[in-house]
Amino acid sequence: MGWVTDHAPTGAELNACVRCGLCLPECPTFRLTGKESFSPRGRLMAMSAVADGVVEVDESFAGIMDSCLQCRACEVVCPSLVPFGRAMEGARAELAAQMPSRTRAARHLLVGRVLGSPGLLRMATLAVKVGQKVGVGRVLPSLLRRGFAGIRPITPVAVEPGSTYRAVGERIGRAGFLTGCVMDVWFSDVHAASIAMLQRAGYDVVVPATQTCCGALAAHDGDVKDTQRLAERNVVAFANVDVVAVDSAGCGAHLKDYEHWAGQAGELFSKRVFDITELIDQAIASGRIPKSSVDRGPVAVQDPCHLRHVQRIVDAPRNIVRAAGYSPVEIDPDGRCCGAAGMYSLLQPELSRQLGAAKADQVRQSHANVVASANPGCEMQLRSHLGKGYEIVHPVELLWRAVQEDDR
Amino acid sequence: MTLIGDLVEILGPDRVLSEPLERYLYGTDGGVARGEVIVVVLPETAGEVSDVVKAAKRHGSPIVPRGAGTGLAGGAAPAVPSVVVSLTNMKDIEIDLGNRTAWVGPGVINLDLSKLTRSSGFHFAPDPSSQSACTIGGNVANNSGGPHCLAEGTTTSHVLAVEIVTADGEIVLLGGPAPDPIGLDLRSVVVGSEGLLGIITRALVKLTPNPLAVRTILAGFATMEDAVATSSGIVARGVVPAALEIMDQKMTRAVENFVGAGFPIDAGAILLAEVAGHPAAVEAEARLVEQVANENHVTSLRVAADEVERAKLWLGRKSAFGAVAQLAPDYYLHDTVVPRTQLVATMQKIYEIAERHGVLMLNVFHAGDGNLHPLVAFDASVEGQLDIVHAAMEEVAKVCIEAGGALSGEHGIGLEKRDLMPLLYNEADLDAQARLREAFDPDGLFNPQKVLPAGSRCADLGRPIPTGAWL
Ligand SMILES: Cc1cc2nc3c(=O)[nH]c(=O)nc-3n(C[C@H](O)[C@H](O)[C@H](O)COP(=O)(O)OP(=O)(O)OC[C@H]3O[C@@H](n4cnc5c(N)ncnc54)[C@H](O)[C@@H]3O)c2cc1C
Ligand code: SF4
Ligand code: SF4
Repeated sequence: MGWVTDHAPTGAELNACVRCGLCLPECPTFRLTGKESFSPRGRLMAMSAVADGVVEVDESFAGIMDSCLQCRACEVVCPSLVPFGRAMEGARAELAAQMPSRTRAARHLLVGRVLGSPGLLRMATLAVKVGQKVGVGRVLPSLLRRGFAGIRPITPVAVEPGSTYRAVGERIGRAGFLTGCVMDVWFSDVHAASIAMLQRAGYDVVVPATQTCCGALAAHDGDVKDTQRLAERNVVAFANVDVVAVDSAGCGAHLKDYEHWAGQAGELFSKRVFDITELIDQAIASGRIPKSSVDRGPVAVQDPCHLRHVQRIVDAPRNIVRAAGYSPVEIDPDGRCCGAAGMYSLLQPELSRQLGAAKADQVRQSHANVVASANPGCEMQLRSHLGKGYEIVHPVELLWRAVQEDDR
Repeated sequence: MTLIGDLVEILGPDRVLSEPLERYLYGTDGGVARGEVIVVVLPETAGEVSDVVKAAKRHGSPIVPRGAGTGLAGGAAPAVPSVVVSLTNMKDIEIDLGNRTAWVGPGVINLDLSKLTRSSGFHFAPDPSSQSACTIGGNVANNSGGPHCLAEGTTTSHVLAVEIVTADGEIVLLGGPAPDPIGLDLRSVVVGSEGLLGIITRALVKLTPNPLAVRTILAGFATMEDAVATSSGIVARGVVPAALEIMDQKMTRAVENFVGAGFPIDAGAILLAEVAGHPAAVEAEARLVEQVANENHVTSLRVAADEVERAKLWLGRKSAFGAVAQLAPDYYLHDTVVPRTQLVATMQKIYEIAERHGVLMLNVFHAGDGNLHPLVAFDASVEGQLDIVHAAMEEVAKVCIEAGGALSGEHGIGLEKRDLMPLLYNEADLDAQARLREAFDPDGLFNPQKVLPAGSRCADLGRPIPTGAWL
């Protein structure tokens, strides 16, 4: 039967792979298992096997695709410039279309419905909040408990949809702020810090009320319709801003990829999307945000895959940490995935656990007890694997705190 | 019991891969050949390898050892339906800094060893361009080289001992820590044996001190002739740089497109030269490189300012084969060696052959030791293309051998170059090699039909072939 959707991996995408194997050592799942079927080259070859009619889209194909973290570390080192992330989203779209009845139903519900609906998400949040108060974390099965342990104590939502925050000092433009789905309610402190720093960077910040979930999880899951629907809504919601500011690396990576989901309008939209660390780094470089002269000690910098491998942003978070008066400590020269990877920690618990534990060890060896991470998924994963004694924050939060302290 | 049943008993179900799609993924390596895989196993100890070999032998199944599958000659692609033994999970490393050696498992990735020893001031010298991915077991099996083998020698100069599992399933140690162990040097026989004589389960390798100073020079030339003349000129003046690498224009452009390291894309060819060692010597040798380049009409010259720039230039050079995919989906390359004095003439002939056959030829090579990698980029899905490429490349091989060269500098013979062996070796040579193989593996269990073309063994012709034997 081969492929059945318009989103399938294309011949050009698959043929670009010459099977040199240079991506293998960069792939976290290959490193753990040593198996071709857990490697980028193997996954591409499996897709080619479907395209060439050697195999069908079946359980064994699905297994090979499902174990991919979509961290895209493989893309960075590929000299043939294989667009692996795009090809994998295509393969997931095929799985969703050809094997709708697999365990995908439950995921679909969560991804498409709950995260796309503020009402449902708030209900889930309320449950978490109550849980945190009464301490149900301890009675949950160990796997869920781990996820639970990663969630920040929930504070009241700070950002009201529809509001505008004025630039502090000279105004350089208008930024539309993406609140995201999980970020909005579970990470409102990060939003507060991001908006405050954007104001200081010279942006009027608006929070379009009609915006919605970025659609990354739906795309990773192969849900083409939902992904397109969410993308089209956001393109309209952010039509009237100069830049779209995003404080979740995973969401930003996906917004920068809207050309695949919302056509030409999406492509134009993508050009205006910036991770918050990029915008703040620019403001530091141009002197609009001052560098702190207080020495605040070491901070371990964790590179979210969707920042480092997909958006190729490496220096910005370090510059921000430095401007806040901390000394950034490198924990992983290879920038290996922490195993959070969106829904991965729920769907592939064992691989996720091994990667999370390895990342936590790297942090412990750095002797820093503050970790800067620019992505909510990574933050939760780190918190649940590091346990007590470590603070995990967004780099912009560190800067905002420093700015407030220095102002005093 | 079935073969797979036996293997599961030895390794457990998780390390025996028998699903059709999983097996399919092991049917090929970095080359163009594809073969059939009966089952894939992932042992973790020499004992397990031994048990696997015994089981396969009982069932009369051939065995193909496999590292990272970056080989370019089809060495890890089964020629007949085989059990693939993947060594990727044998990754133990025991470093002995006092003796500047390390015992390493065959699945250790080449660059991982150098990274691990970097802070102690050492590295593993053989640096194939695939070093970020290929395994030491694969390096030993192919006697791999790399840009820096010009001064340091190929893998065989850096292996003191190997532990192998023989066709009987016996675990034997060949060589040892002493520089020249007594008796026949069987270690040297196994290095470069391409998985035909046994499965390497451990190797004792030398660690090389990192140089005190390094200078990397990128020179652009209007013509390939000038670039080659410069590289030969440098060696002729008695300097052996750490590396001397040349890329032609098409290759340089593809590479630059990936790394953006500032390679001069208008140059007809570029020379990447590196000198390393004592700071004073490095200074003098760098001056000489520049001087010889000037004598040969260099059009641009740049010295890498720091380690970051240097790393980027090398990343560019080492990505060359992969970058070819930007031009066409498949490539086929040779790995011939010609005497340095014949380089210019041979290169001209190679480009002529390409033109005559209408194929897209690129060149990137170790100029210092005359190890060419003429490479054709093509689309195998176009009917008849592969035949045209094979025909052109056979001529290329002939031209190189006529120039007094060899068939493989470092990538091995495997399946891809097997039938070209008679161009270089006569019957007696081939017979001797076939008999050597028989001495290790009388039934031809390991990597059958590789390296030696059918009929290499003179006696084969008249002898009935026993069942269960693969030649
Ligand atoms: C981009 C690229 C660049 C390259 N550059 C170079 C270069 O500069 N120099 C160079 O020499 N080569 C180069 N190669 C070729 C290849 O990387 C080397 O030959 C490498 O040593 C192969 O290692 P591997 O682990 O991938 O082995 P594989 O490809 O898996 O196997 C290679 C051969 O070794 C045998 N083998 C593997 N492991 C064992 C073992 N444990 N015991 C017994 N036999 C075994 C296999 O049966 C096969 O015949 C390059 C390849 C690529 C894709
Ligand atoms: S690095 Fe690129 S071309 Fe090479 S095997 Fe990986 S995906 Fe394929
Ligand atoms: S995206 Fe990450 S997990 Fe998936 S193949 Fe690439 S490196 Fe491996």
